[in-house]
Amino acid sequence: VLCVVAMCRAVPINELLERASQHSDKLHSLSTTLTQELDSHFPPIGRVIMPRPAMCHTSSLQTPIDKDQALQVSESDLMSLARSLLQAWSDPLVLLSSSASALPHPAQSTIFNKIQEMQQYSKSLKDGLDVLSSKMGSSAQAITSLPYRGGTSLGQDKITKLINFNFLLSCLRRDSHKIDSFLKVLRCRAAKMQPEMC
Amino acid sequence: AFVPHTDGTRYSLPGKPTEIKCRSPEKETFTCWWKPGSDGGLPTTYALYYRKEGSNVVHECPDYHTAGKNSCFFNKNDTVIWVSYNITVVATNALGKTYSDPVDIDVVYIVKPHPPEKLEVTVMKDQGWPFLRVSWEPPRKADTRSGWITLIYELRVKLEEEESEWENHVAGQQKMFNIFSLRSGGTYLIQVRCKPDHGFWSEWSSTSYVKVPEYLHREKSVWIL
Repeated sequence: VLCVVAMCRAVPINELLERASQHSDKLHSLSTTLTQELDSHFPPIGRVIMPRPAMCHTSSLQTPIDKDQALQVSESDLMSLARSLLQAWSDPLVLLSSSASALPHPAQSTIFNKIQEMQQYSKSLKDGLDVLSSKMGSSAQAITSLPYRGGTSLGQDKITKLINFNFLLSCLRRDSHKIDSFLKVLRCRAAKMQPEMC
Repeated sequence: AFVPHTDGTRYSLPGKPTEIKCRSPEKETFTCWWKPGSDGGLPTTYALYYRKEGSNVVHECPDYHTAGKNSCFFNKNDTVIWVSYNITVVATNALGKTYSDPVDIDVVYIVKPHPPEKLEVTVMKDQGWPFLRVSWEPPRKADTRSGWITLIYELRVKLEEEESEWENHVAGQQKMFNIFSLRSGGTYLIQVRCKPDHGFWSEWSSTSYVKVPEYLHREKSVWIL
């Protein structure tokens, strides 16, 4: 048993990053599928009155805005950004999940299942990044707190529910893309010995 | 807004520009293009304006030339990601202006790479049986080495004869693929394309042709039958 434990601890960082980026990839793909699912049945007025992306609860977090900036960020800072974003979604994902169970949408059950799946991926990704960041030193473990202040309900009437659900999902779609991009850059930096990987 | 002219022809405001589409080949630059409406019988010019999320400043297209007619190219300095661009195209002639419907885009959702390059096909032999070794490189502009973009590949192969159909193979992130079970003496067409982790398939690459040597003699194949 000791040997097994020792082997678990010895999983190299590049392999952990490989697994982490598979999870973040899946997380973002699910958010994209969900966006398309919702778009198929979104009231036109929703597009006009939906809050702008700058209203997302995570938008105050400074992240790189192009490749040059992203590639200049240190490993531990990229990890810290990815973890801060992931952490910021644990509460809103619960809200999305509880709202999805009564969403006025013809594909309601598919949407609910996908949100559940996202919760699972985000949970195991969080556990994985906790392990990874602990191997990378204290600055990788720093987390910026980005509390969600939207309350515990997405609204009363049908239109409001749909619009807020859509809005929250559009924020999640962008943030999961950021998380995935940062982890994939980290993955390639860790795989420097095998450039064929990237 | 129709104005009758002395010779009887009628001039009008330009038609509305439509079908505004944008694509980025590598998550570092992007291009938008549109379909012009009617010109109303008058010389008409087009301008693209954009406003980035979180800003009130309206900018005009930085480069109308690089990507051809009715398009706008945004180079690295004009491209940011995870920021939405609100884009409007305006057609102008002597009678006035017509605005397109605005479009919101975020560069990370419109990535469509160029096709893979340097496609090479070699006939190899394994215990006397030939097989094809296909290899290629990512499109030059896509920075796969830093992990900025991750590409997966797909090949398609077809015998050069009528009624033969393409056979597709998924290669994943590999940049090499072997093809077995070849027809003796057959000529094959091979193409490859790529897709980013989150985005659209590229067009197919140019075609590579390869002729498989005759490895079954007539008598031998009769024997097998």
